[in-house]
Amino acid sequence: MSSDLRPDLRQQVTLLELVDRVLNKGVVLSGDITLSVADVDLVYIGLRVLLSSVATLEEQGMPVAIGDALR
Amino acid sequence: MIHVYGIVDELDSLPPVEGVDGAALERRRVDALELVVSEVPRDEVTQEAVLRHAQVVEALMSRSRAVLPAQFSRPFAGDEELVSAVTAKASDLELRLQRVRGCVELGLRVVAPAPDSGPEAESGAEYLRARLDEERRRSQLVAEVDEPLARLAQETAGGAAGSNVFERAYLVRDEDASTFLDTVRELQAAHPELSLACTGPWPPYSFGAEAAK
Repeated sequence: MSSDLRPDLRQQVTLLELVDRVLNKGVVLSGDITLSVADVDLVYIGLRVLLSSVATLEEQGMPVAIGDALR
Repeated sequence: MIHVYGIVDELDSLPPVEGVDGAALERRRVDALELVVSEVPRDEVTQEAVLRHAQVVEALMSRSRAVLPAQFSRPFAGDEELVSAVTAKASDLELRLQRVRGCVELGLRVVAPAPDSGPEAESGAEYLRARLDEERRRSQLVAEVDEPLARLAQETAGGAAGSNVFERAYLVRDEDASTFLDTVRELQAAHPELSLACTGPWPPYSFGAEAAK
């Protein structure tokens, strides 16, 4: 991760990467991956929600910076 | 309904974390495969559920020899449906589980400088030539960054994500991870014109698919 990124921004990038992995990657077991609502890709809804609430998540002790290896 | 977190190999014990909706984690064996699941009351994708899923997978990583994370998807109606879905892919899943054993995923995102508008092209042909040169320079830059990293990886997945963004996941053996990160730092120093963002180590989310290149 570029060291010149602001820490909060870096955390958000990590979070985006996390959500992208959980929703788009991983073994597909169920054939039914309905992750869109009214034709809007839920990934993006999710990302918007996440971006707006990183601070809240941190307060709740959620792992927002999972795997941020290049500190 | 049953939510699946992943397939595990030699899981010590269930991690002391709650599953989606606060449900207790359970181990479920299907053929030779062991899954970690929990009961969920409803079929809903929430931010909380997605992060909880990720947290469980992360916790499983530290307690087993290998984890194949499941994609967050609609839960199974019941045991029967789960068993038949897993049985249908059992041999493929076993193979993938072996491949990710002892490895972590490292993500790389390279952002190349946006093409500068440059001097006005005199003609259409000149414009196209300039664009082509620009494109070549960029893909060469990306190759210079990707090649040394791909050499350290068992497998890679992903590729170009946009005209000036390159995204790739590397499956790297645990013992090679620090060399990988050092190499990213060296590459960043050698290429100040690029912006390199490396994230990880992640559970091998990007390497569950059979077509991982």
